Amino acid sequence: MTATFTWYAEIAPNRFRERYGLAFEDFAPGQRFRHRPGITITQQDNIDESVEALNQAMIHYDDHYAAQTEFKRPLVASNLTVIRLIGMTWKTFAARERILGWAEISMLAPVFGGDTVYAETAIKTRHDDPAGGPCGRLTLVTQGTNQHGKTICRMEYDALIWRRAHLPFAQAGY
Amino acid sequence: MFANYRQVEPDVYMELTGIAFEDFAVGQVFEHRPGRTITEEECRKHMMHALDLSPRNLDRVYTAAVHGRTVVPETWLLSVVAILTTKTFGRVVANLGWTNTVMHAQAVAGDTITAESEILGKRESNSRPDQGIMHVATRGFDQAGHLLCSYERRFLVYRGDGGPYRQAGY
Repeated sequence: MTATFTWYAEIAPNRFRERYGLAFEDFAPGQRFRHRPGITITQQDNIDESVEALNQAMIHYDDHYAAQTEFKRPLVASNLTVIRLIGMTWKTFAARERILGWAEISMLAPVFGGDTVYAETAIKTRHDDPAGGPCGRLTLVTQGTNQHGKTICRMEYDALIWRRAHLPFAQAGY
Repeated sequence: MFANYRQVEPDVYMELTGIAFEDFAVGQVFEHRPGRTITEEECRKHMMHALDLSPRNLDRVYTAAVHGRTVVPETWLLSVVAILTTKTFGRVVANLGWTNTVMHAQAVAGDTITAESEILGKRESNSRPDQGIMHVATRGFDQAGHLLCSYERRFLVYRGDGGPYRQAGY
């Protein structure tokens, strides 16, 4: 087992600065990144998110109503699952300039309060246009699994990642 | 027009959530109102709660130097747009997923988002007789009317005569 990437830059002898996020050149099709730790989504998270987002779908926060459904309890709002899954990828993808769009977001199994979710991202395509400016485009597939190993969500999306020569750390004093 | 109340006694009306499967028709367009202003603080909070320490939403020095303004995270913009549709689509059973999600332009903290949804298709569920599958296109705009985000989404909704509403007393 070898360590192949680092989140540290040695800016002077024995002085290390944290620099999260891999550069565009570090990515290659077929790589898979298992993002850790996972995160437990509670029903309180679900209520808070839904209420603060102005969500009117009561399946997320009305326990008595939810008890009458086939699920017997509230479902975690899909958007909360998506936010958490993409968020958990940050240590690898902190050099993401933006997400251009999702070709697919499939919610494959329900998520309930108390579930712990994990994210894994596969590099599907590296669109290597040398004239593409300071960023390159990746097609990524992020899958979410729960504590039982069941896949709950699959997303395919395109993102712009800064090339090594253009990583913005210096501009921000990193 | 849509019946959004159930008369439970003379002069007593109960509010109904969302629109039932039978009342949707292909080609209908729903304008979701009110709009919703996105703040810098909620962007920061959502990213923190997702364990996302990307500097874009946590470090103003970085944001100013690299992006020049406080960009709304794409996942939060998608959430805000999708959730603006929940008054009309509040009879959702479960969300199946999104396709063709395009972020046309970045939203900036302080922007006010509105959305509209067009019914692209609907069909009854074979396995779930009290439900149907909706196929909708939704577009999100900023206060100047610029298109920020568009997607298609499929989800299950309850039929008007089915679902858990009566058992819940609704």
